Amino acid sequence: MPKGNATVSEQGTTAVDGRRPDSNPVLVIPCSGIGKVHGLMSREAAYLVTDEIAPQKADVVCLALLVKGDEKTVAAVQAGPCITIDGCGKACAQKNVEFAGGEVAQALQTGRFLAKHRGAQPGTGSELTDEGWGIAREIAQAVADEVDRLRIGEEVS
Amino acid sequence: MSAEMNKTPKVGIISCSGEEIPEGSISRNAVRRVLESLRPHDTVTLCLPLFLAGNEGERNFARTHPVITIDGCDKQCARSGPETHGGPVARALVVTDIVGGEAVGCSRSLRGRTEADDEVVASVADRIAAEVDALLTEGVQPEMTEDPDADVCACMKPVEAGSICVRGGRVDIPALPLVFAKLASEGMRAGDSQASALLETVKMFHYISTEEEADYRAALLSAYRAYLGG
Repeated sequence: MPKGNATVSEQGTTAVDGRRPDSNPVLVIPCSGIGKVHGLMSREAAYLVTDEIAPQKADVVCLALLVKGDEKTVAAVQAGPCITIDGCGKACAQKNVEFAGGEVAQALQTGRFLAKHRGAQPGTGSELTDEGWGIAREIAQAVADEVDRLRIGEEVS
Repeated sequence: MSAEMNKTPKVGIISCSGEEIPEGSISRNAVRRVLESLRPHDTVTLCLPLFLAGNEGERNFARTHPVITIDGCDKQCARSGPETHGGPVARALVVTDIVGGEAVGCSRSLRGRTEADDEVVASVADRIAAEVDALLTEGVQPEMTEDPDADVCACMKPVEAGSICVRGGRVDIPALPLVFAKLASEGMRAGDSQASALLETVKMFHYISTEEEADYRAALLSAYRAYLGG
């Protein structure tokens, strides 16, 4: 698998507490869908990881930039393992990371988490309910656990 | 939907996905506001990653309808999609051109949303709605397909459910027809050795407790066999 030298795209973000992610964060790529709650949950889960749970260890990149073939974004994705959070079975995030030559260490789908909460009303494409936030936090924790696992593997090797 | 309603012109809106930057969230939230509140009968959204990835439904809509793109930054991913794969867009908007520096300090996440975020989103949404009105006033008469649902982004459509019989009772499972179609397209047969893979895929859309797995496994296999015509 090709590996680039880039660390994070030039739009690389600053965590809410003002710290920047370290030089080689695990990239989290959420769904971009705006029609259903699933896309919103995937994005908010990603932000929970990058802004709150593991701001030094993970970062987000734009899926559209990746699909468009933006050089720096593709290189960033190729530079290390990625975690995708898809909102539907079309799995745009997972497929496009793989297509770009990136390694998907973990491919999550919001539907799998929602399925554990039969009858839950998580919200809409615009807002999450308390239940929706709870499920988003479950997804975020799963992502954060995988980030930790990947980082430990990195430090060992 | 009546045939008369099918003739109603619709304007497609493609939003920046922009997960990295606040302007991306502003774009998405503004588009949602237009779709839900401001111009619900005149607009539909197209999914940018699907469009860029070559989804024919999304691209066909863009070829036959006026499209407004709303981008979060000057890379203009949303605009480049239709212009690369279809033709010029009717309007190309950029958040920072509309609100200037007001987007600075806005939040990517809903958790950090403030009154300032809401005001910026409202400004952008109002501008999009104004452009929709202008296009419709200009007498845009886009070609419409017979099936109105064909014009709608995949992520706006309800997921079709399928039903199976478990322990003598009917159970509706979201996306079951899609699951069967996908597995069939991958050449999966309906043998006993495939039952676990089938169960795992369905569990992505429907909660199945450990105690229920055996019953679901048998029911799904039976339904999948019927789907394959076996």
